[in-house]
Amino acid sequence: MTIKIWKHFPREDLYECYQCARCTGSCPAMEVAPAYGPRETILKCLNLGHDKVVEDEKVWLCCTCNVCEDRCPQKIPISDLLVALRNSAARRGNIPTRLSMALELLAKTGRSMIVHQLDEMRAHHGLSPLPAAPVEELRDILKKTGRDEVIEF
Amino acid sequence: MADLNGIRIGVYVCHCGKNIGGTVRCDEVAEYARQLPGVALATDSLYTCSEPGQEQIKHDIREHQLNRVVVASCTPRLHEPTFRAACESAGLNPYLLEMANIREHCSWVHLHDKDAATEKAKDLVAMAVGRAAKLMPQFEVTVPVARKAMVIGGGVAGIQAALDMADAGYQVYLVERTGSIGGRMAQIDKTFPTMDCSICILAPKMSEVGRHPNIELLTLSEVQEVQGHIGNFKVKVLKKARYVTKECTACGDCIKASPQHAPDEFNAGLSIRRAIYIPFAQAVPSTFLVDMDRCLNNSGIVACDRCFQACSHKCIDFAANDEVLDLDVGTIVVATGVDVYDPTALTELGYGKFPNVITTLEFERLINAGGPSGGELIRPSDRRRPQRVAFLQCIGSRSKRSNPYCSNVCCMNTVKDALLIKEHWPDTEIYVFYIDIRAFGKGFEDLFQRARREGVTFVRGIPGEIIEDIKTGDLTLLGENTLLGKHYRHRMDMVILSVGIKPHKDADKIQRLLNLATDTDGFYMEAHPKLRPVDTTTGGVFLAGAAEGPKDIKDSVTQASAAASRANILMSRGEVKIPAITSRIDPKKCTACGLCARVCPYHAIEGSKEQGFYRVIEAACQGCGACVPECRFGALDQTHFTEDQIVSQINAALASDPHDKILAFACNWCSYAGADFAGVSRIQYPHNVRIIRTMCSARVSPSWIEKAFIMGAGAVLVSGCHPADCHYNNANQNTARRVERFWKRMEKQGINKDRLRLAWVSAAEGAQFAKVIKEMEAGLKKLTSQQIQEAAEKLQKSLTKKSEAT
Amino acid sequence: MRYALYLGCAIPIKYPGFEAATRLVCERVGIELVDLPFSCCPPPTSMKLVHYDSWLALAARNLCLAEEAGLDLLTLCSGCVNTLKEANHILKQSDSKRRKVNRILEDHKHQFNGTIKVTHILDVLYQDSVVERLLKERVRDVPLRIGCHYGCHYFRPPKIMYPQELSDAESYVPVSMDHLLSIIGVEPVEYSRKFLCCGSPLGANMDQDAGYEITRQKLGHIRDRNIQALSVVCPSCFEQFDMGQIVLGRKTKEKEKIPTFYLTQLIGLALGLSSKDVGLDVHRVKAKKLLESIEVA
Repeated sequence: MTIKIWKHFPREDLYECYQCARCTGSCPAMEVAPAYGPRETILKCLNLGHDKVVEDEKVWLCCTCNVCEDRCPQKIPISDLLVALRNSAARRGNIPTRLSMALELLAKTGRSMIVHQLDEMRAHHGLSPLPAAPVEELRDILKKTGRDEVIEF
Repeated sequence: MADLNGIRIGVYVCHCGKNIGGTVRCDEVAEYARQLPGVALATDSLYTCSEPGQEQIKHDIREHQLNRVVVASCTPRLHEPTFRAACESAGLNPYLLEMANIREHCSWVHLHDKDAATEKAKDLVAMAVGRAAKLMPQFEVTVPVARKAMVIGGGVAGIQAALDMADAGYQVYLVERTGSIGGRMAQIDKTFPTMDCSICILAPKMSEVGRHPNIELLTLSEVQEVQGHIGNFKVKVLKKARYVTKECTACGDCIKASPQHAPDEFNAGLSIRRAIYIPFAQAVPSTFLVDMDRCLNNSGIVACDRCFQACSHKCIDFAANDEVLDLDVGTIVVATGVDVYDPTALTELGYGKFPNVITTLEFERLINAGGPSGGELIRPSDRRRPQRVAFLQCIGSRSKRSNPYCSNVCCMNTVKDALLIKEHWPDTEIYVFYIDIRAFGKGFEDLFQRARREGVTFVRGIPGEIIEDIKTGDLTLLGENTLLGKHYRHRMDMVILSVGIKPHKDADKIQRLLNLATDTDGFYMEAHPKLRPVDTTTGGVFLAGAAEGPKDIKDSVTQASAAASRANILMSRGEVKIPAITSRIDPKKCTACGLCARVCPYHAIEGSKEQGFYRVIEAACQGCGACVPECRFGALDQTHFTEDQIVSQINAALASDPHDKILAFACNWCSYAGADFAGVSRIQYPHNVRIIRTMCSARVSPSWIEKAFIMGAGAVLVSGCHPADCHYNNANQNTARRVERFWKRMEKQGINKDRLRLAWVSAAEGAQFAKVIKEMEAGLKKLTSQQIQEAAEKLQKSLTKKSEAT
Repeated sequence: MRYALYLGCAIPIKYPGFEAATRLVCERVGIELVDLPFSCCPPPTSMKLVHYDSWLALAARNLCLAEEAGLDLLTLCSGCVNTLKEANHILKQSDSKRRKVNRILEDHKHQFNGTIKVTHILDVLYQDSVVERLLKERVRDVPLRIGCHYGCHYFRPPKIMYPQELSDAESYVPVSMDHLLSIIGVEPVEYSRKFLCCGSPLGANMDQDAGYEITRQKLGHIRDRNIQALSVVCPSCFEQFDMGQIVLGRKTKEKEKIPTFYLTQLIGLALGLSSKDVGLDVHRVKAKKLLESIEVA
């Protein structure tokens, strides 16, 4: 299933980009795992269409640190764009394994991590056990927001 | 429909090519106009402003005995003088012309709705015809123009303008805020694209100013107050004490004696000066001055006189005082120049934190032989000559985070700077990080080519981050080479930020003093961007140099000569006609209450209760009309903007479907021009607004608002200049007061007060004007016809009661 | 001063020591904490990227619990504060999104009304009244050269996280942790790329090695300034520096490791709490020697 991402992000905002590359220049992910950075992402969206971007697994190479948006002289809401693009990628099944595992855990336990002997560990620090999260309620909310259509467990 | 007490109006509907004709069906509008009372003939033509178009008008005036002319075309701010001249040459008084603005206020702002635009054009023509029928011939008075000029700002533009006017034989006061003329150009090492030595070509002009018999140079001086009008400005200038007399020979003996230090502004803070100093070697006047903020002898206490002791001519005078000079001038040239952008706020670049990150202005001083390093390019951290130098372009320019515009000079300045380094130290590696290189001027592309040929590396992509190595002071630039699509890390010895320019920090003070308009970037606005590029909307005031917009030395000098030439035309003619739009008082109705005199911003109404009458001093009246609505007895009226004329416009505007309409009153200088700007920018807004122009929003009478609502207008807008920017000495505070009073009345009578809107819209705020109309339209949609009807009845009732009482 | 304590996931599950330290510090400075049945925030680095609507709805549920208790939310993690502040902002701004979320939550008897504020422990401790209390309660100094790492999600994007600081600043960077620590005798040290990401989200989602490479670079800048320890306000950043140095050490053979503290652990030490009280014993990079050198145990 696909969604039109321009419903979620105003495409006109991208027209203001003049490709100065301050975004990619400040991107920590680009330094260590060359993908294509915000500048190229915007250019591809404009010139090739966003399909080309969301089909590539490199769209996930990002720290979500938002420094790109901080540096942007045109105040383009780059982080919103990247969120919209990745939502679209996930709907097409382009989603890193680690991430889908984390979300599965969240749906099952209401928390995004799990450890053995939690109660003992908390007791070591003088803390009472952590109450269980209301999993049924969360599952119901997730069902109604339509997440289950995107990721099946 | 002809004949209305002998009134014969000719109506000309202009297609303006496709500009109007593409949206408005002009033939249909002309057809409609023929039915209007008093119209003797109506026709449409492709270009009414063309020679044949004007000839047609002249011919018709003679042939068809027209005694009024209505041209429906562009804004009167553009072609009113053209058509007035045409009328005059055919023997018709120019004040019998009226224009309907169906381009800026209609076709350009309703591009996609031909029917609505055509209907609106018909209304605008009907309003113009209604007013035209009430127009009367007027005769302009002539006032003398003082053959003296003032130039504000002593940079290269101010210098050029002063010299051009002085050479033409007029007395010039050159007012400069700092201790010497010279401005930014004096700080720069070389000029592009010719690589001339900047101070070498400027210094002779500076000395010429110093010795010119027609120029009085006022340094350390600031304009405090400007009164009067074109041809006759009365200016107060504060001349601060220099504490050193003219006898100073600039020998410099005092410097060594002075114990107090300060950063040297001329060297961009890279060196130290004393409390007594001369701004720079070539300064004009070549006289030292004392910086009283640093001197120990502040506030009358003499704690130290070492410089005085050291001075063999004894020309230091601690008792000197500031003085206020009164100047009478006929014309003013504004050349206040620019400041450079301070990049400290862009924390990722480390300016102010990393010593080896400097600005281009600091670089100019570093590479200049008269600068702090004697022309040696050295790194501030260790005084070593840098081997690898980077220039970063567009710092503080083209950015919504700083200045949104292109600063125009930085590209070529960097290319020039890079070549200068190559010239002195050819082994230096130079990298220029850019977005676009704009080499648009004469000789610019050649210079850019030369830089590339000499091995300057141009990298497309501005660094996102600069990292300093704290041990060496070296800098690492992180970024992306967009042409290669690759991330880069460049290690540099020195980084030069090519900072943009912005209006001088005092530009807004001068703007208020002279009632100038500024664009959204803060630069002064021209009267017309193409055809009156050095005039301002204030008569007799002209613009020169970068104060009007970022520009290089050549363009500044060109514009300065143009401004001087425009001022010279006025001064050589020696007189100027002023529009016949003054107020007048009907002595039969005047009760000598004196309320009008109290609101007049020019003290142009004189009289007293004892005397039994008040009268308008015509030469002093500026024609804002603020006094007219103040009179409770209807004794006042404004020439050419009479009650009769405006009321007939209101009648025509609201003749059909008043409930759906917004009636807008807009002042000539800001709001009407703002609506024009919305048109020029093709900003689309709802078509149900009908605009009536007055000179000042203070002319808008509450009785007009009342009348509009009684006629069933859905909404009324009163708009004028922003409070501090009023072109009539804050006359628009009366506007605000009157609107507020009307709101209270509406509230009291249970009428939705949102239907009356007060909005300040400047000439540059086309988008703001459109926004206001859109918001009013949204409010209008929530109203029912019944509500409008009920409100009209309530107001009618109270009006009837009031008139019965009197 | 009362807050609903929002623990998140990483702190109560992976680093309960931070929770213990925070509860003890808050008690000492007179901040009352109330526990509510919250769930995962969910993180701006996971759920938001995959399914925005779910992210917003789950965040809204957490906000509703605090609204129902009439308390502002106090978070301990940069990720949590980012999600909850942004969701709070969006739901207040957008009528359509608020309606959509409320339609889903009404089945569970929740309704978002936008009545509370979301804040972070650093901002709470940095308030004037709390600082005054801290000065009174402080029993010893912690005289270490410390580098502060704020964590990107704590302050970016500033238009959501710190709109009040934005008036003229062209790029906003926080200073609160440096200022706060200086009152307990810490010497806060500036270092290059202070506001660079720790590398955690990149590692967690995609490429662990790449994530640690960012950490390695950042640690390099920190070593350049002879910084003795790091202070963080986020468990993910903490893990990246603490665990990260062990992982990196296997490759780089770097022997000197820099201990990392969670903010309230340092404050706790200054208030006289022991290393064990604030949970330092479970850190991978031990701070024992360092603390002994300044006679804090």
